[in-house]
Amino acid sequence: MRPKLRPTAWDGLVVLCVAALALGLAFFQWQSGTSAGELTAVVSLDGAEVDRFAPADLLKAPRTYANNGYTLEVMLSMDYEHPASSALPPSGASGLCVARSDCPTQDCVHTGTITRSGQSIVCLPARFILRLEGGTAEDDGAVDAVLG
Amino acid sequence: MKLTTKQLTLCALLTAMALALSYLENLFPLSLAIPVPGVKLGLANIVTVFALYALGPGEALLILLARCFLGSLFAGNMNALVFSLLGGLSALGTMALLSRRRGLSLYGVSIGGAAAHSCGQIAAAAWTLGSSAPLYYLPVLLAVSLLTGGLTGLASACLFRGLRHTDLMKG
Repeated sequence: MRPKLRPTAWDGLVVLCVAALALGLAFFQWQSGTSAGELTAVVSLDGAEVDRFAPADLLKAPRTYANNGYTLEVMLSMDYEHPASSALPPSGASGLCVARSDCPTQDCVHTGTITRSGQSIVCLPARFILRLEGGTAEDDGAVDAVLG
Repeated sequence: MKLTTKQLTLCALLTAMALALSYLENLFPLSLAIPVPGVKLGLANIVTVFALYALGPGEALLILLARCFLGSLFAGNMNALVFSLLGGLSALGTMALLSRRRGLSLYGVSIGGAAAHSCGQIAAAAWTLGSSAPLYYLPVLLAVSLLTGGLTGLASACLFRGLRHTDLMKG
């Protein structure tokens, strides 16, 4: 079988199909991201829910989860008016993140902060899922915590 | 399936190359730039594309299976087997179907394969974790597959151009 080595118009159709699928899925997830009730973080290990809490609960202390031989620490991600000087008090909480993990891939740590209902952080080696649920449409489901 | 000595040797060589490329791409983790579980350059897919056109779908499947099993064995991580198998089989199946469309070039076939690979890996993650949460990453992975599939297509096209006048492409 001899392959065509130069791009063709039909290739553009494949690109369009993949892009449409990606955009469609992203739009669907964005639409279904908000629901009734307070914004809540749900933690699952091995597919079973093990913890459910309001993001502001993490102001007191981060939470640690261990599974499949790995340990992860979930904490509130803080906003600073001057990012270079984190010695100053933070101006607010921007979301939740996995601050530390001893998993080999570190994808959960590199995922960064999740802020909106429907977003999640997955750690495959630890079989860990942190997911934000609930939150009203008015506040766009964003994490809100009072600091002081 | 009956393989000649030449085909068997080529299959073994391509399996070794696919394993080497899989190892090589770990040295350039794309996940540092795009922090999504499972995001990869997919360099080993160049070998699958080449095998599909130069040898045929059956031989490409043999190479893929050998690469997945040996890769997981060498990495000492048999959990990764389900991810590489589901991703690889989805990609090969899609590329085998797309390669029959005469209007498509290596670029379209590779992009389709990369997108199918992402879908397969997300399915494996959802099955392993017992949750639909990994679906959240699928739009990003699909968008990235446009880039990685395009790059794989480019590399494959260069490979076929380079081998155009060799004995390898005449059999």
